Amino acid sequence: MAVSDVIRLLGVNPVYRNRVVHIEISEPELPRFGTLEVPPGDTLASYLTQHRIHLYSHQCDAINRVRSGKNVIITTPTASGKTLAFNLPVFEGLERDREARALYLYPTKALSNDQLATLEQMAQFTGISARPAIYDGDTPQSKRAAIRDNSRVIISNPHEIHQVLSWHAKWRLFFSNLKFIVVDEAHRYRGVFGSHIALLLRRLMRVCHFYGSSPQFILSTATLANPLEFAGKLTGLPFDLVAGDGSPHGRKHFVLFNPFYDGIGERSTYQETKDLLVSCVKDNLQTLCFTSSRKMAELVTLWARDDARRSSARLAESISAYRAGYLPEERRIIERQLKDGRLKGVVSTNALELGIDVGSLDAVIIAGYPGTMMSTRQQAGRAGRKGDDSLAIFVAFANPLDQYFMNHPHHFFSRSHEHAIIDTGNPYIVSGHLLCAAAELPLCEDQDRQFFGEYFYELLSELASSDLIRKTSRGWVYSGRGRAADAVRLDGIPGSTFRILCHGRLLETMDRAQAYREAHKGAIMLHQGETYVVNEMDLETHTVRVTETDVDYYTQPLKEVDLSVIEILETRTIHGARCAFGDVEVTEQYTSYKIKRKDTIIGLEPLDLPPITFRTKAFWVIPAPDTEQRVKHANLDLAGGLHGAEHAIIALMPLHVMCDRWDIGGLSSPAFGENCEPTVFVYDGYEGGIGLAEKAYEILPDMFSSAHELVRDCRCDEGCPSCIYSPKCGNDNQPLDKEAAVLILRDLCTVTEKNECTGLSAESGQAFQQSGYFL
Amino acid sequence: MSATHAPARIGSLWQQRIKTMREYEVVRDGNVFGAGFSNNVVFSSDYEQAHHQLDMLMEKHQDVPFHAIFSGTEVFNECGVCFSLKSRQSLKIPSLDPDRFRSEIMEDLTLVHGIGPRTQTRLRSKGFRTLSDLMQHPKFREYAHDVLTCLFGGDSAEIMDLIGWRHAKSHPSVLGTAGLHEPEDYVFLDIETLGLFSRPVVLFGIGTIENSNLEVHQYLLRDIDEEQAALMATLGHLSGDRPALVTFNGKSFDIPYVSDRLAYYGMGSLARIPHFDVLHFSRRRWKNQLPSLRLAALETDILGIRREDDIPGQMVPEFYEAYLRTGNCGPLIPVVEHNKQDVVSLALLFFYLLGETCGRL
Repeated sequence: MAVSDVIRLLGVNPVYRNRVVHIEISEPELPRFGTLEVPPGDTLASYLTQHRIHLYSHQCDAINRVRSGKNVIITTPTASGKTLAFNLPVFEGLERDREARALYLYPTKALSNDQLATLEQMAQFTGISARPAIYDGDTPQSKRAAIRDNSRVIISNPHEIHQVLSWHAKWRLFFSNLKFIVVDEAHRYRGVFGSHIALLLRRLMRVCHFYGSSPQFILSTATLANPLEFAGKLTGLPFDLVAGDGSPHGRKHFVLFNPFYDGIGERSTYQETKDLLVSCVKDNLQTLCFTSSRKMAELVTLWARDDARRSSARLAESISAYRAGYLPEERRIIERQLKDGRLKGVVSTNALELGIDVGSLDAVIIAGYPGTMMSTRQQAGRAGRKGDDSLAIFVAFANPLDQYFMNHPHHFFSRSHEHAIIDTGNPYIVSGHLLCAAAELPLCEDQDRQFFGEYFYELLSELASSDLIRKTSRGWVYSGRGRAADAVRLDGIPGSTFRILCHGRLLETMDRAQAYREAHKGAIMLHQGETYVVNEMDLETHTVRVTETDVDYYTQPLKEVDLSVIEILETRTIHGARCAFGDVEVTEQYTSYKIKRKDTIIGLEPLDLPPITFRTKAFWVIPAPDTEQRVKHANLDLAGGLHGAEHAIIALMPLHVMCDRWDIGGLSSPAFGENCEPTVFVYDGYEGGIGLAEKAYEILPDMFSSAHELVRDCRCDEGCPSCIYSPKCGNDNQPLDKEAAVLILRDLCTVTEKNECTGLSAESGQAFQQSGYFL
Repeated sequence: MSATHAPARIGSLWQQRIKTMREYEVVRDGNVFGAGFSNNVVFSSDYEQAHHQLDMLMEKHQDVPFHAIFSGTEVFNECGVCFSLKSRQSLKIPSLDPDRFRSEIMEDLTLVHGIGPRTQTRLRSKGFRTLSDLMQHPKFREYAHDVLTCLFGGDSAEIMDLIGWRHAKSHPSVLGTAGLHEPEDYVFLDIETLGLFSRPVVLFGIGTIENSNLEVHQYLLRDIDEEQAALMATLGHLSGDRPALVTFNGKSFDIPYVSDRLAYYGMGSLARIPHFDVLHFSRRRWKNQLPSLRLAALETDILGIRREDDIPGQMVPEFYEAYLRTGNCGPLIPVVEHNKQDVVSLALLFFYLLGETCGRL
């Protein structure tokens, strides 16, 4: 235990000392225990005694409420014992009613495995016949029937449930006795994805009602700004909130670490992260490091091992990468070794961010802002279990957003929680789930309206007129040719998987976009800290062949993003600015790759890969010519202004159209198309569009005025995360010009003197294409 | 949301997306290797020919009313109304020898728990030749008694289970239990659907033996609304005295599918009756002898039947969907023909195998 040693090192070591821009210390807190209204039965009481568990106040609060039949949402921080707060009442329920069943939904497989171990242990100790099991894509066909029939606690994920619901007859026993649905890490279900899950849960409840059950919900989430509203939207049911954390904390040190403190940054964030990781591990701190990409996770691991090897081979062996894409067995081994202490340092992408219980961790290093405060706090929360001192270090990138936090620590630490937004009225999403529901049980106009909202009838008749559902005496029946659940993808990602083979052995799998990025011909691929070179990428068979190699360089592809207008569907003029809504095609192409040794570029090679395109719906705005003039006369940067205006508009999309920021893309250019006009595009990040840009287009004047107020009233000087910095900007928030953005947005909401009313008919139907600043 | 126009785009959006979903793969002609891996491949020439045929049928039968093409009757039951087509096919039923089956089965000592081939040889050398002999054996007496009770007192489903449990489910003796039935007990079933699960069954084909003829009853959905009545009518055929179901791949497809549809409409579940899946017996019989064990291939190779204007079974959804969309009955013609031939071939193949297993020697 040497958190204090590392803190001392950070203050003494001249390299570290300069980079530490702030240390936020939160004082230890003592536990607050609670009491249950009714003590638990003998078996569970002895479980608690044997494990020396005293229930904290929030756990008791949750258990009392669940026992009284309420739907409960628990929002206490990571490692506060949320799992027990729902496992205990669920087990009580299973003990009381010998037929009762429970369904646990987890967003990732890693979490499912962890929960399985906990439940098995609890079942074994208490002798309550829960027979917990995982039922997901990895479950062998031969075991499925037995799990459905015998397991009283089934752990699964939304994707599996989406597939399973049409087989409800096989699940009759389970669904008819389903008493609890536990949705852990529920904050992951927000934005468009969350809206899909909300509809999926309604389909699940509909099937349960059919079999005569109406299960109680228990949700667990990271801290949110709107937990009750969120829970209500996700399930359509009323909820009780359990918030006040009663668990104890040790002293927490949160360090802001800026490699670019001098404005130069002689070494990259990767290198600095690696150094910090090695320092922590050498000091015997079990450390979890979060990186922004898979590649970064691998590089940091590789370099950290190299460094550690100078001290001892054993130390080097105690550092590992962990990320999505690894085969399940590999992940299991890493998880196990982390728990039994053989691993000291694990470098992960955010797959591990979710509360997987890896025992006590001493330190967390967050390399680059993870995009939301929700994630930041979840990740930092992984340090400091069991009430000991803990350390979290946020290592900044050079981008303006990270740098803003480095320069405004107080802003960082006082930032409010995000809203988790769900739209159960999005007709694109609802209609897809109506098709699935109609394939599960005939849709009845009277009974099923409660699940599918205000457009139910309208959408039914629309789907009927497209021959996808037919009316029968029992209700509407799905009659499309393809399987409905296959037509509706919860995550909106079209699936084509590339297999990475080394001497014919499957190393890992990745989706197309990622394969293009990381497994193109000539790419140096990292897997578990081993280096491979890509010899061949077969686009037809989706196979990538790699061989082991021993080089000290790595590769980094360069991406170009283009957008072209396919069809203008509607146009309007707002205060002289021409606005349009229509179909666009977004094209991403990797054109070349850099070869780098540590932070130095040692070569550049061309790439011959087809572009990745997707069609979606967008709205776009061409500010009035006056505006352009005004920006130029004021000596401001037009490109930076448009880019800033784009970010501000996108920042407010969640508020106006009920989505997550990550559901939307944008692109701005000072000279777009053949007329070289300044243009801002905002588009849906989903193939075919999902109704977000469409809805925003209807309310553009409101969007403009709120975006204007946001930027104008922000007290920063040159832009900040609260106004024009985007956490997901593809151009690292450059260029940005706040003054120009304010001017452009002001003009969009003000009637100008020369109010030109030209439409967009000139370009109608004509495809034009141009690169610009990508969100 | 802009309710004014969004839903109007939504219907066609889904229609487009679902139209492109296909549950089979089109492979190059002669790509037997590709075809060998999956049941769901269609050779490209068949695919193109079928599409050509679809266009021709649509053109030829435009505005031709349903009853001008199909002459059948309406069937009414508690679930509504459906449309029934009947046809008859003469058929040579092999004469079966139930005693042959019984004597063979009596000599199979391995049906007794704890007796493998080696023990059987040893027992035989000691004079235990039949299951009845084992009643004298000190160790196996008890188990032999259970087996004999089942063989003499159990129904064919229980006997099938016993044999299938001790041997493989595709063991000829399992098929042999079919010989315990009268030909009138057999119900041959083959369904056509809108896809692989969770979509309507659009045509139920049922074959029964009446006066040594094969009667084929087909329940064709004129609209999806008729599916429940057609399900009900199909169940009617399975409610005889001691019905025995015969299918080709029905254990994996037809029966789970029908059960699924019954559950979908909340119509209860199928009764458990003996079920002979001819695919399993064909696999055991002709594995490594014939390149393909699909029904269409077996009927050519074994029964010498050649189909005219047949369409690949995987493409039935496209044909039916064309009818549903346009009301043009032309595309239904090859679907009905295809299904009828499937039922006939199924029956022929079943009797062929049954004759080999327990025909009179």
